[in-house]
Amino acid sequence: MVAPAKATGVDGQLFKRALLGSLSWLAANHEEVNRLNVFPVPDGDTGTNMLLTLQSAVEDVKESNAAEVSKIAKLASHGSLMGARGNSGVILSQIFRGFARAVEGKSALTPAELAAAFEEAANAAYRAVNKPTEGTILTVAREAGRAAATAASTPDANVPRVIAAAAAGARSAVLKTPSQLQILRDAGVVDAGGFGLQLILEGMLKSVEESEPALAAMAETKRPVSPASQVSLDLPEGGWGYCTEFLIEGNGLDTDLIRGQIESLGNSVLVVGEPELVKVHVHTDDPTGVINLAGGYGKILKLNVGDMSTQHRRILESEGAAGKSRPPRPNGAGLAAVVAGRGLVEIFRGLGVDAIIEGGQTMNPSTQDMLTAIESVPYDEVILLPNNGNVIPAAKQVVGLTKKKVHVVDTHSVPQGVSAVVAFRPERSGLENLKAMKAEAERVQTIEVTHAVRDTRSNGVKVKKGDVIGLINDRLEFAGDDYPDVVKRALGRLGPDSYELVTVYRGEQASDDELARLESEIRSNYPRLEVEVQQGGQQHYPFILSVE
Amino acid sequence: MARSFAVVTDSTADLPGEWRKRYGIEVVPLKVLFGHETFRDGVDMTSDEFFTRLAASTSLPTTSAPSPGEFAEVYRRLAKDHDGCISIHIGAKLSATVEAARVGAESVAGFKVNVIDSQTVSMPMAFLCSVAAECASLEEATAAVEKRVPSCRVLALLDTLRYLEMGGRLSRAQAMIGTMLDLKPLLLVSENAEIKPVDRVRTRTRAIQRMIEFVRGEQPLERLAVMHAQAGDEAESIAKTLRPEFAGLEVPIGQIGCVLGTHTGPKALGLGYIKK
Repeated sequence: MVAPAKATGVDGQLFKRALLGSLSWLAANHEEVNRLNVFPVPDGDTGTNMLLTLQSAVEDVKESNAAEVSKIAKLASHGSLMGARGNSGVILSQIFRGFARAVEGKSALTPAELAAAFEEAANAAYRAVNKPTEGTILTVAREAGRAAATAASTPDANVPRVIAAAAAGARSAVLKTPSQLQILRDAGVVDAGGFGLQLILEGMLKSVEESEPALAAMAETKRPVSPASQVSLDLPEGGWGYCTEFLIEGNGLDTDLIRGQIESLGNSVLVVGEPELVKVHVHTDDPTGVINLAGGYGKILKLNVGDMSTQHRRILESEGAAGKSRPPRPNGAGLAAVVAGRGLVEIFRGLGVDAIIEGGQTMNPSTQDMLTAIESVPYDEVILLPNNGNVIPAAKQVVGLTKKKVHVVDTHSVPQGVSAVVAFRPERSGLENLKAMKAEAERVQTIEVTHAVRDTRSNGVKVKKGDVIGLINDRLEFAGDDYPDVVKRALGRLGPDSYELVTVYRGEQASDDELARLESEIRSNYPRLEVEVQQGGQQHYPFILSVE
Repeated sequence: MARSFAVVTDSTADLPGEWRKRYGIEVVPLKVLFGHETFRDGVDMTSDEFFTRLAASTSLPTTSAPSPGEFAEVYRRLAKDHDGCISIHIGAKLSATVEAARVGAESVAGFKVNVIDSQTVSMPMAFLCSVAAECASLEEATAAVEKRVPSCRVLALLDTLRYLEMGGRLSRAQAMIGTMLDLKPLLLVSENAEIKPVDRVRTRTRAIQRMIEFVRGEQPLERLAVMHAQAGDEAESIAKTLRPEFAGLEVPIGQIGCVLGTHTGPKALGLGYIKK
């Protein structure tokens, strides 16, 4: 059954080369994956999320000369977990994790062992997901594993054939996804995450096929694998890095000394201030190292770590009055939240959130981003609010990666996040807070108003590109051509009699006139509702409404 | 009246009108100032008149304690047909009234005045007065009141923190209220007249539910009242909810006066109680 063990097994360096091949192939095609995103809001980021996750997986691998496949797989697993972004990124990290577990202790894999590892990778991914859905990356992973196993059981099985079978299995599974998922069928596309996985396997195949004649010489390959350096993500100069900013509060702080030490950890270093309060700004690959270093000098305040690979980075100077004189919390619990938009960031800060991770709908922060923010919170117990359905999986990964006790409240939207924070009490224990925050988050209704980025059909609503669309609690409910009309219908659907307050978070794109018309429409149609307007400054959603 | 000692309080006790007669309680008014006009709380201006004026006023009113002389005048008058007096006042942390009462009492020779810092405000003060009024002697009354002072609480729902903040009694940060969102703070005035935030919510209906839930957790209670500023219907409905749950308690409704109203603003609701 098992093919005769050939000398051409998968060792560490072959697997490394395969991963680099995956990365370059996914990098070349990730935009295509993005375009497959079926959700009609500007959420076309599956390809980017997978690419960033894979990039992080490979980051550690690149530096390693390990001959054992187990070591490379472990590095990839760790790296992908740290960099996991979005749903598909998190699932991908679990695939790597399953693979690494399956090859534990092995220096090289036979074709059969490779196939078994693919299968175990798929199983791990299934186990990681709460409600596995067929027709997604999960199905594609499973079918790839099955095809690999079939290929491995043939007498002339070898590594390239097993990988080729996995890639082919993935491809045919991807093509079938529309028959498994209504939402894909409606939109006339295949599953984006599944397609991303197909690209990863194809990339592996390419790198292995190219190098097959030289398999024996593989171990001593030192030559940098060219495709990796071609990966282009329109990154700012200097590549990956985090714009890290914070204040140090202490006594007798020596700015020159601190600057000197931080300069060894990054560039664009700015350290200014007084002996009692110093402001630090640095672009670094190691924000945690910087924070640990600075933490030795005093208390870290107003930490902001921005991943410069995401666009729209803003330096946030939150001088919110509430943040300054906040007394330490008796319950020893801190708060971290994922938020984007200047106004929203200030609202969350004003409500007592200790660390803000910038991100949201189109820029899902990575597990690492969230981890860094959590480490900056001056409490050992931290409650994390993802505030977006796509961020929740990556947020959950943070639990267990730190010595801190981290709780995630599954907030799917900004209004849910606000309600959760409002319910936080400094004198209540972490668990009690968690319960209260969850209950309050579930109480609020969210209406999001945006424009469709493509023609589609979802939840029985037909949408043309550019239409104004209204979502209630993440579900597309209305399409129309102006904001007030869509909001009016959405409020009507919720039944305004059961609510008393509508908070309108105005996005960056909404004009004064549009805001005024929206307000007057709500007031004239639903005179009993109180209306409060806040400048949210969020992108992509001209209006987010909280109804409670 | 068989009682040999007098019971005095100030207008921040929000004493229900008929209690003055029922318990024979003397009320010394604090003052509210609109610009240069001064009004004695509950004497020159009723609560309703105050809030009407407040709504029309462009600047916020200020408040002041009674003078020691005004207290002395009251004590001197009471000295004629009483052999002593218990004088129960708004927490010293919140107002200079207690100090004025002490100084005033000293200037009345030969008349024993036991001045009590109630460490609270509003209806719990009124309850303390009623406790004192039902005692047989000044000593007994003083002991009974002092025993209850640490158990007095006021749970307040303010429609806005603006008035309290303007009066310098509490900052937004202290109330756990950010600067952006319009949050309804729920504040507890506990021992030593310390104001601390216990909750914050987005809507009034939720805030009222929270008040009720909170006071349920404070059982057993010896006394309980509902207070309001221009929110009589809501106060009535809160009392209706609470009465069956606190069987045996009267649960009266008190109207927040001009001076307290200057700091709470309109539409404030409160629960005043004494814990057992």
